[in-house]
Formats: sequence, C-alpha cells, structure tokens
Amino acid sequence: MIPLIEARGLSKSFGAVRALDDVWVQFAPGSFHAVIGENGAGKSTLAKCMVGYHRADAGEIVIDGTPHPMEHPQDAHAFGIGLVYQHFTLVPQMSVAENLVLGRTDLPPIIDWKAERDRIDAFQRTMPFALDPEAPAFALAAGEKQKLEILKHLYLGRRFLILDEPTSVLTPDEADLILGSLRQMAAQGVLSVVLITHKIREVLSFADVVTVMRDGRKVGEGAGLQRHELEQMMFGRAISAPPASRSASAPGPVYLQVNDLSALGDRGAPALAGVSVEVRRGEIFGIAGVSGNGQRELVEVLAGQRVPESGEVRIGGAPYRCTRSEMRTRGVHLLPEEPLRNACVRTMSVADNLALRVFDVRPNAARGLVRRRVLDRHAEALIRSYGIKAASMDAPVETLSGGNVQRLVLARELSERVSLLIAQNPCFGLDLAATIEIRAQIIAARNAGAAVLLISEDLDELLDLADRIAVMFEGSLVFETSCARADAHEIGRHMIGRQEAHALS
Amino acid sequence: MNELELGWWGVLIAVIGGAIRISTPYLFVSLGETLTEKSGRVNLGLEGTLVMGAMSGFAVAYLTGSPWLGVVAAGIAGSSLGLLHAAVCNLPRVNDIAVGIALFLFGTGLAMFLGKPFIAPRGPRLPSLELGSWSAYPSVRAALEINALFIVGLILAPVLYWGLRHTRWGLVLRTVGDSADAAHALGYSIERVRTLATMAGGFLAGVGGSFLSLYYPGNWNEGLSSGQGLMAVALVIFARWNPLSCFWVSLLFGGAGALGPALQSVGIAQGYYLFNAAPYVLTLIILTWSSSTRHRLIGAPSELTINR
Amino acid sequence: MLSAGPWRTIEAAAISIGAIVVALVVYGIFIALNGIDPIAVYRVLYLGAFGTLFSLEATLTLAAPLMLTALCTAIPARAGLLVIGGEGALVIGGLAAVLAGVSAGGIPRYLGTVLVLLAGALAGGAWIAFAGALRLWRGVNETISTLLLNYIAIALLNHLISGPIRDFGETLKATSWSIPAPFRIGTLPYLNVHWGLAFGIVSCVVLWFVMRRTTFGFAVAVLGGNIRAAQLAGLATARLSLAACIIGGAAAGLAGAIEIVAVHGAASESLVVGFGYGGILIAFLARQNPLAIIPVAILVGGISASGGLLQRRFDMPGAATAVLQGCIFITVLAGNTLYGRWRPSRA
Repeated sequence: MIPLIEARGLSKSFGAVRALDDVWVQFAPGSFHAVIGENGAGKSTLAKCMVGYHRADAGEIVIDGTPHPMEHPQDAHAFGIGLVYQHFTLVPQMSVAENLVLGRTDLPPIIDWKAERDRIDAFQRTMPFALDPEAPAFALAAGEKQKLEILKHLYLGRRFLILDEPTSVLTPDEADLILGSLRQMAAQGVLSVVLITHKIREVLSFADVVTVMRDGRKVGEGAGLQRHELEQMMFGRAISAPPASRSASAPGPVYLQVNDLSALGDRGAPALAGVSVEVRRGEIFGIAGVSGNGQRELVEVLAGQRVPESGEVRIGGAPYRCTRSEMRTRGVHLLPEEPLRNACVRTMSVADNLALRVFDVRPNAARGLVRRRVLDRHAEALIRSYGIKAASMDAPVETLSGGNVQRLVLARELSERVSLLIAQNPCFGLDLAATIEIRAQIIAARNAGAAVLLISEDLDELLDLADRIAVMFEGSLVFETSCARADAHEIGRHMIGRQEAHALS
Repeated sequence: MNELELGWWGVLIAVIGGAIRISTPYLFVSLGETLTEKSGRVNLGLEGTLVMGAMSGFAVAYLTGSPWLGVVAAGIAGSSLGLLHAAVCNLPRVNDIAVGIALFLFGTGLAMFLGKPFIAPRGPRLPSLELGSWSAYPSVRAALEINALFIVGLILAPVLYWGLRHTRWGLVLRTVGDSADAAHALGYSIERVRTLATMAGGFLAGVGGSFLSLYYPGNWNEGLSSGQGLMAVALVIFARWNPLSCFWVSLLFGGAGALGPALQSVGIAQGYYLFNAAPYVLTLIILTWSSSTRHRLIGAPSELTINR
Repeated sequence: MLSAGPWRTIEAAAISIGAIVVALVVYGIFIALNGIDPIAVYRVLYLGAFGTLFSLEATLTLAAPLMLTALCTAIPARAGLLVIGGEGALVIGGLAAVLAGVSAGGIPRYLGTVLVLLAGALAGGAWIAFAGALRLWRGVNETISTLLLNYIAIALLNHLISGPIRDFGETLKATSWSIPAPFRIGTLPYLNVHWGLAFGIVSCVVLWFVMRRTTFGFAVAVLGGNIRAAQLAGLATARLSLAACIIGGAAAGLAGAIEIVAVHGAASESLVVGFGYGGILIAFLARQNPLAIIPVAILVGGISASGGLLQRRFDMPGAATAVLQGCIFITVLAGNTLYGRWRPSRA
C-alpha cells in the first residue's frame, strides 16, 4: 500500500533567504504529481524537506494521517520515500551492483555477493530499463547514471519517489522513456511519483496533478491545466519574454578555429576525440549535448585549464596558447559554467575579482606596483553599470548570490571590447530576470561583431540564441545545422547517439 | 666455514632478513593509513603516532613485563592521536594536511617528553618464529627469524582486503571516501566514519611503532624513528590503496632500508649515510613515477585532498 | 561597521591570540598532571623568553632563523602550495655556504660574506624549486616531497661532514671545514644578537611589500586562491609557483648560511635543530602573512629559548617546549574554523 503523504505548512529559511513559505500539498497514492516553478521557486527545498535532507523550520510531514518528523534521509526511507537528487549520489569507484546494494538498510555485516547478484538480476528483469551490474559507476554515461539513481530506489522497494529535475542530463527521447515508464508504474498502482521540474512540456505530457510554486510559496494547483495557465502562475504573466533580436547581418570571417583537438579527462580516459569547430565573427555557434560528452573539457582547453594531447586552437588566424597577452590582444573572453568555481577567487574581494584581467596593466598598475585606488574606481564603475548587489566592494565574492556572481563575471568579461566570447551554461540555476539579462548581453556582443561560442545543455536556450547548432557526443561534434532548419527531435537523437553503452537489451 | 665467505650471498640474505624485519612497521602503518585514506582523509601525523606508539609500547612493556601488553598500549596511544586528528579535521575549513604536520610535531614532542625515564633500561622483547635454526651461520639464522608482528600483519593484509569488499563496514568506508554526496544521501555520518577510520589507522600505526621499541632496534631512544610514518603515506599511494599491495611494497621498502647495514656487513662502509637516504630517495622516485598531472590516480578515493 | 580589510586583520589576530591562550591552558593542565605547578612554569617561560636581557638576546637569536624558515612555508602557501621543507633547505643552504666560503679563500671580506650568503640562498631556492618542479611536471604532492627532501638533506649533511668535507682537527663531533674567519659576521650594536636578525626582519618586510603591493604578489594571490581562475586569467601559473618556491627556499637557505656565517663557522649536526619545523608553526600562526611572522617568530623563539631554563628549574625533558609548540599548532589549526563566523552580513 502506497501511503498518502502530505506536506502541511512547511517553511524553511537559509539565512535571510526564505526558501519555503507555509506550503501545503497533498500527494495521492499512485499519482504522477508534478511540482513546477522557475529556478529559485523552492521546489527543490520542498523535496529535500520532505525526505529529511533538510529539517524544516516549521510545519510537518503527515503520512496516512499521522505526522512524522523528518530529520534524516533514513527517516524517509523507513516509509518507503526516496528522493532522486539533482546531483548524482553514486559512488564512482563502485560497480552498479555495489551501488544498488549500498542503500539497503538491512545490509548484513558480511555480504554474500552471489546471492546479491541473483537478486539484482531478478529485479532488473522486472524493470523497463537495466544496466550491467559489473560496470563501474564512473564509466556510465549521464543518462545511465540517472537510470541507476532511479533503480537504486526501486530496488530498495521505495514506493514514493520524488525526482528533482531528473531530465536535466537527458535527451528529450531518454526523458520520455524514463518518465513514461514511471508514469506507467504509477498508473499500475506500483508507485507514487513526484516530479520536480521547470519544464512545462514534461508536466503537460505526464502529470496527473500539478502544483505551481513561486518565490517559496504555492501559487496554484490542479489537474488538466493549460500551458498559458501554468505560465501565468509561474511567472505572473502569460508568455515568457521573447528572446532579444539578432541582427540580420551576415557573419564575418572565421575567428575561432579548433582543429582536431584531443584531450584526456580527469581519470585519464579520452574526453575530446578530434573536435573541430569554426566560429565566425558576428555569429553565435551553439554546441548542444548531454553533459559529460566533453563540453567541460573543451571549455577547459580553451580557458587554459587543461592541456590537450593533440590538435590546435587558432584565434584570429594565429595559434592560441592561452597566455595573458594573447587573451588581451585578441579579445578573448570566457564565461565558464559554475563561475564561483571556475572564474573567481572565493576569498578575494569583489573589487579584486573584477580586476582579474586588468590588474597588471596601466592605469591599474605602474612599475610593477598595483594602484589600489584606480582598481577600486574601476570596480565601482562596473558594480554600478552592471547592477552587482554586494555588501561592499571589499566583501569576499563568495558572499554574493549566484546571479550576482554571474553578473560580476559578465561585467569583468564584457566591459571591454569582445572579439571572441566563449560561454558555457551561462544561465544555469539563475532566475528569470538574470537569465534574460545575460542572454541579452550575449546577443549584444554578437551584434557588435564578436564571435560567440555558446555551449549549453539547455536545448531551448540554443534554439533561441544560436545561429548554427552542432551536437557534441562522446568527445566530438557529430551533427551541425543552421538555426532555421533545426529540429529539436533530430538534434536530440544525435545527442544520444545511435547506441547506448552498458544497457542490456 | 667462515661467515665472510658468504660474501655477496651474505648481503642477499641480510637484505631478505632485513626486509622482513624492517618492513613490519611499514606494513602496519601503511595498512592503517590505507583505512584512513579510504575514508577520504590523509593523516600525515603518522610519524608522530609511530613514535608515540614506540614509547608507550616500551613503557608499558617495561612496567608490566609483557611485550604484548605493550603492543596493545601502543595501539591505544596511536588511536588516541588518531582521535585527536579526526576531531580537529572534522571541524569545517580545517586542512587535514596541516593538522597532520601539527600532530607529527606534537606526537614526537610528547613521546620524547614522556619517554625520558625509559631511555636507558632494556625492556622485554616480542617473540619470533625461528625458521633458520637449521643453519650454522648466525646471519642466516638472523635473517630467517620472523617476528610475531610480521605474522600478524601477514594475516591482517588479506583480511582487510577481503573486508573492504565483503563487509558492510568496508562498503560504508569506501562510500564515505569516494563520494561525500552519496554518503550524505544514504544517511551515513561522514564524521563518524572518518573518525573511526583514523582511529583504526592510528591504532595500527601505534602497533607498528611498538615493533621498533620492542623488537628491532629493541629499545627506546630519541632517534628511533626517521620518517617511516611519512614514507608509509607514499607507500599507500604506490600500493594504490590496496592492502595486499601494501604488503609487497612494505617488503620492498624494508629491503631498501636493509641495504645499508647489509653492505656494511661485508665491509662497504663508505657512503653509510647515503645508503640511509636510500628509502627516502626510493620513495621520492616511486611517488614521481606513480603520479601524473594529467589525470587523477586510478584507485584514489575521490574525497582525498592529497591528489588535488 | 568596520570595512572588510581592518576587520579581517583584527579577526586574524584575535583568533591566533585566542589559540595561544587555549594552548597555554591545555599545556598547563598537562604540566599539572605531571606533578609540576603550571603557574611556576608560566613564570619561567616568560623569564626564559623575555625576562632578562640575556634571555631576550637568546630569544632574538633564535627568532632570526625562524623568521626565514617561516617564509619558506608562508610564501609558497600564498601560491597554494603547502611546503614544509624549511629544515632541508636550511641544511642545504648551510652546506652551500661552507663550500662557497671555503673555495673563495682570498677575496675581500665583505664580498666573501655576500658570496657565502648568496650561495646559501641560491642552494635553498633550488632545493625547494626541485619539489615545486616535481609538483608541476609530475603532480607529486609538495608536502610529501619536501618532507622527504628534509631527510635526504640531513643524510647528505651527515655523509659530507663525516668524510668528504670533514675537518679532522675537530674531535668533539663531526664538523666540516670552516669558512675563512674574515667572512664571519658579528653582532648588532648594543645587542648581543647577530646580524642575522636584521636579515630576517628585512626579508619579512620586503616580502610583505612584494606580496601585498606588486602585480607579482597579486598574481600569486590569485593562483593561491583558485588555480582555475588564475589559468582562466591567463596567468603564468607554472612560473609563479616556481618563483614562490624559489623565494621560500632561498629564505630558508639564507637562514642556513647565516647559521654558518654568524654562529658556527662550519657545518655540523648543529644545523639540524628543528628551525624548519618551528618555521611551519610560525607561518600558520601568522596566517602566512610575512609581516606577522616577525612578532610570531619572536614569540616562538622565546618559547624555545626558555627550554633550557625549564630543564634546569623543573628537571623537565628538553621536549617540554616542543609539546607546548605542538599544542599551539593544533589549537591554531582548530581555530581556523572560526574564521568568517563574525562577518558583516551578506549581500
């Protein structure tokens, strides 16, 4: 029997930020219940409070009429509630079988692997998708990792499954397969599914019931809601803002040229297998792909954070070696993903981070000495014109919110003349306002004649912004199309490739 | 027949015997550090733990007359230092490498301080298995004298290897060391697992230290240890965090350490100090060879700070 | 509300002082458990460190090399490397100083002194740079490699002074050849402390300035803060790392050369007294800030200086002060967790 689970009056704050504000939701057994909202709406926090990953400040979780405190993921597990997190919680060096067995609460002190393998094989036969039990987790593709996360819960007999943005690493087809299977199981009364997402398409295709959240509050709920109704509730207006317009001028000469680039990943396995790209001035070249197919490594090579094995990068017609002077003279600017991790020094101040590109050139420096006052004036101007919200310019950059960190990096990179802009998932995790701002800046750079390489895992973003789109799969570019002729499903099929490794039948 | 006629055979025998003898502390410390590092933490303070173990082992053995009680006391002293290491490292924003160095200095100083009364006397000795009693040469007999702790270690290594794969504790340990996210999601207390692993590591390191004072060289003095605890950390990396490999690599290090005295026994006395440097140089070479900037070491627990 | 800059300095000083106090208390308990009156010990600690002119001079004499070996940890730390090879670099510096001094017999005295000091600094710089290079080209962890290099340096010292460069006229202990007497340096005016103290203080001040105000120092700070950001900004990370190692190693090598030129005149096991390890503690206590190293080195030097007095008054082993220093080291590291707790509120 699947329990009836309710969240009653849940509230949770993180410091000054009110992530959840008195939320009441009921999840009927056997339903496919979606919780939708834009980034920062509180949906993820709701899910984590429901399984005890976070402890709610107020309110309670009620299971079949009785309130139960959720202080620990293990409390939730006892009731058959499981959460598939946004980040992977697999142990990289353990096999699929070990990962599956790991979650068992009744794990015996000594493990009989033969018996466990038999149990796993029997279990996998009843599932719509299956994986090779001996494969190590680090070798799985992102889609397979996601499947393993789901299998983990099902293997442990969890009947109430919450999935937090599960399809962000999947292609449209994979997403349909997994969500479809889950919906089937819910319809059969095997499971209750709660899908946390920001994608209206998924909600419309699979959900029985939708709860809409905004700014930590529940703002709407119902079955059979239409797209415009959902949008109205999510954003407070009917249609999300149209993308900024791209000027119609033809692209200029080739500015960035990547020739047959190969590189190894963190574990020594090949990550880039002969990537070749040409980006012209005045165009946005988009690279689509499921995360984990070499995009990160490509940006790292272009940023000087990874040394390639072979191949060549040419910018402005000459070989590029990522030195500081080359970056300056050829106008190369980067917006890597996870800006706090990749583009900033956490403990240094906002002003110092803003000065990262220019601290050693006149007028900010003279005769090898840094001129503090000039730097501060420079920072002040950027903070004002880009609207960076910080306690003071001396505050360490790690105290800024995600959107403001991204604004800081944007200010630093786009405030000079840009000839080449490389952006990777620039709007990931940001709210709508920041997203619109950043996309506008990218288009403005393109209109001003910059060559833009936009690498994104959000296909919609690419379809909105890019002039040409290519697909990255397993370390090389496998498909290219112009925006006009782009078909989301065709692109999606290339993102997944023809065969999937490690899948059985 | 004359001893000296053994010549180079004598050197080989001395190296083998020395390998078994000298490898014993390395074996215990490396097995202990393997457990600690599998949980995602590095303990560079093992040198201090080793010295503390040597001192407390000797002190208790001397006072009670039983070497085995000394061994147990050494283990307890070691796990106390391990507990201290874990307690400080569990605090947020604390660098476990720096804490290791602090404990190295603290443990060594503490041992020297408390051990002052035990410098002169002779204490009880650990038993050994005399496999070479058939021989007429004292050097052969000495070489084939296998001490009891070595045998304990010989059994311990495969037990730990098996335990990491086939017991619940082994799985939990590996999870905490390889993915803190997974451990948190599964509800395991990362601090608790790491604390226990560091204490276990400290216990074994302490036992390894007791070998030095209770068997070879067999007394307590200020110059007893010279970097074995540190080299064990490199040893673990070279052994790819595999307890079975730790056994073989320990023997290798033991052989390297035995080279100096062995050559001396055939009259090659020059460069004595240079031969003393052999284990460190070997460690450095091994580390250089095993490491690579291009990729993380295969088999390294992903949560370890020491590999970038 | 204080702005971030001065606030951070106050916070750092408060936490470091707090750590020392806690360590003293814990040490006091430890002393009491050993049957000795802790208050009396505190008094003797003070007496032996700063109580008389004699003890003050002893403290400053010890502080001089400690400042320099602390730089050997502090400067690479700012570049993100944890180097603990001060002991080895000091020894190598001392050896190089002896070799240089002995082979430069006839040159004028000031030139000779400079040559000897330079040789020590260069040798020390090269020693640590070697570890830095191993890190850059093979990814070898620099903490382990510099620790190993310490032992190798000591073995090298022992080998050389027991044979190849031994002065067989010295019968007390194995000692190397002496450098020519004119190359030796004497004491500061009014104070019976050698000129090495001036070298130490000047080095700290100069390096503080370099790290804080120059573009080189800014670049090193970026590198130490986040190597990925430094790479993204196109900084020459390899060169910066090596430079930091060379500077740190040169400081410790200079300390070794000063020990030869100002104290011993020849190399022997007296070079290996733990200055390197004391320097590590000082660097952490001073939060890797070269200017703060000056007072902290005097404090730690004071503790070491009072060791002899503690031994005589209370019959405590020589390791008594080492235990105190170990306690301080641990409490300082534990105190690191308190940083940022009382920060001005977030944006």
